[in-house]
Amino acid sequence: MSALVQSLRVVGYSARNAAADFAATYTWRSWTFGWVGRMLSQVVFFTLAGRVLGAPDQARSRFIGNAVMTCVVEAMMVVASSVWERRAGTLPLLVASPADLAPVFFGRSLQWIASGVATSSIALLALGPLFGIDWTAVQIPAVVLLQLLTAVGSYCFGLVLGVLVLNAPQLRNIASNVAYLAMMSFCGIQVPVDYWPAPIRLLAAVLPVTYGVRAMTALSAGGPAGAVWRPAAAVLLLGAGWLAAAFVAFRVFAERGRRDGSLEFGQ
Amino acid sequence: MTAVEAVALRRTYDLGRGRGGGQREVVALHALDFRVDEGTVHGLLGPNGAGKTTLCKILATVLLPTSGGVRVFGNDVVSRTRQVRQSVGVVFGGERGLYSRLTARQNLHYWCALYGLPRRALLARTEMLLARVGLSERSDEKVDGFSRGMKQRLHLARGLVGDPRLLLLDEPTTGMDPVAARDFRLLVAELRAEGRTILLTTHDMAEAEAVCDRVTLIDGGRALATEHPRALGALVSRNERIEFDSPTADALPGLPALPGVVAVTTLSPGRYRVETTATEATKAVIGLLLDRGATSLTTTRPGLEEVYLKLIGNRGMEVGR
Ligand SMILES: Nc1ncnc2c1ncn2[C@@H]1O[C@H](COP(=O)(O)OP(=O)(O)O)[C@@H](O)[C@H]1O
Ligand SMILES: [Mg+2]
Repeated sequence: MSALVQSLRVVGYSARNAAADFAATYTWRSWTFGWVGRMLSQVVFFTLAGRVLGAPDQARSRFIGNAVMTCVVEAMMVVASSVWERRAGTLPLLVASPADLAPVFFGRSLQWIASGVATSSIALLALGPLFGIDWTAVQIPAVVLLQLLTAVGSYCFGLVLGVLVLNAPQLRNIASNVAYLAMMSFCGIQVPVDYWPAPIRLLAAVLPVTYGVRAMTALSAGGPAGAVWRPAAAVLLLGAGWLAAAFVAFRVFAERGRRDGSLEFGQ
Repeated sequence: MTAVEAVALRRTYDLGRGRGGGQREVVALHALDFRVDEGTVHGLLGPNGAGKTTLCKILATVLLPTSGGVRVFGNDVVSRTRQVRQSVGVVFGGERGLYSRLTARQNLHYWCALYGLPRRALLARTEMLLARVGLSERSDEKVDGFSRGMKQRLHLARGLVGDPRLLLLDEPTTGMDPVAARDFRLLVAELRAEGRTILLTTHDMAEAEAVCDRVTLIDGGRALATEHPRALGALVSRNERIEFDSPTADALPGLPALPGVVAVTTLSPGRYRVETTATEATKAVIGLLLDRGATSLTTTRPGLEEVYLKLIGNRGMEVGR
């Protein structure tokens, strides 16, 4: 069996943990009225807040940005849920197995992708008309696909953060919150990227969400195809880059754990 | 063939800088020489902190040696990690290490996938293992609701998903009830009959005696001796001891002079211990003590550390502490 097929199978079996965690967290009712409701209000809040603060012309782009951001916020929960593996005491068993850790962790938290893409698609499609964005039927699959790309790309970035936090479990929630608040501020969601000094623009340049928002904005404005697919391709490339980084990071994590004896069975 | 061979194996743990600014470390394994023959059940017997888990972790490739060499079926754990991982199964004691929101079957499917089993083999191996550890009936229940014993059985099944030639069992029976412990011993015998090598750590002498072909005594990170378990058993049963309460000490007169009594010691005010060399003498002592109104009688066996001292004293070795 090729390494790729083997990795995909591991992702698939690991995703059962994701499904089981999701089922334990939400019921249909609490997901729809609790989680989705909360995220939709947040999108509306940030969009209107910008209008009050005196940039009414940017309401549209702020809406797109905040709506796309909902799937990213959820994708970043991978940071916290990766750390659950330490709590479960499975880390040494995973390291002792012949499998790579990265596919295990990639599958482990996919519930956030599913829920995030659904939430942000609902936000864009249902709330869009309120802010003057009317989607055509052919645009709808593109909206969902772009969200999926952005969520997965950000998730891969989150995996790398997750590895770092595996050795500092107490930081798991802070890390994911700081990450998404930074994205919200720097990646062209509340204010344009150009607003920030060069080092911050550099950071925004390697985060998939920056391009995901750009592509979605172009799509909503009915811009030329190139204005949509070029940033979309950037999301794909960056996501692949972060995934590759996650493979390396997990190997480094395992080797470091073997060296310093931190792969404890129970903690 | 040699299943496990450790030569001058050393492992230390860093504890960070001490108050004086110097680096502090714990030596968990000191230049350990150790060998397990293929197809045997090998016990690793020692008190808490002896270094048993450290050795298991090194063999399981989740911990690197600080120095020295370790090979598993000829593969070095450092340079041929992948081959070692394919041939070793691990079961660490306790309840952790399972996915509590998945069912028993889902847990095994998952681990089978990680060990690279193709779908059909994965399904078949899972059902075989569930049956083997007696969990077939409960296989669709979430592990969350399992008793401690059921979790331990699932752990054992999990350790076997990769069809390992070497199975590491680190204190697998801790907290098992006697029935479960007996079933466990039968299973170990079965696994051995299949040609697997088993390294079992325990601090329970009776368990070591019951299932092991060879036992290595380990303490303070050093292997003190490797013996057939009967050699240990003889040592254990040679001296029997009776402990009792006699607040006014009126059960004591004449006890040391009875045939077979080797020692009478005071454990605490009003509580004493008599050591005898034979069961006959023990019976006589108990009879006498009961006649004289002694209470809270218990018979015990020598603790592991005393067995060590005896073994080591006999052979002029040093106690590794
Ligand atoms: N991760 C660790 N960090 C620091 N010290 C450790 C660590 N693991 C084990 N030790 C120490 O190493 C020694 C051997 O421990 P261990 O191998 O767990 O023994 P056993 O399994 O025989 O009880 C003990 O002194 C223990 O405190
Ligand atoms: Mg131990």
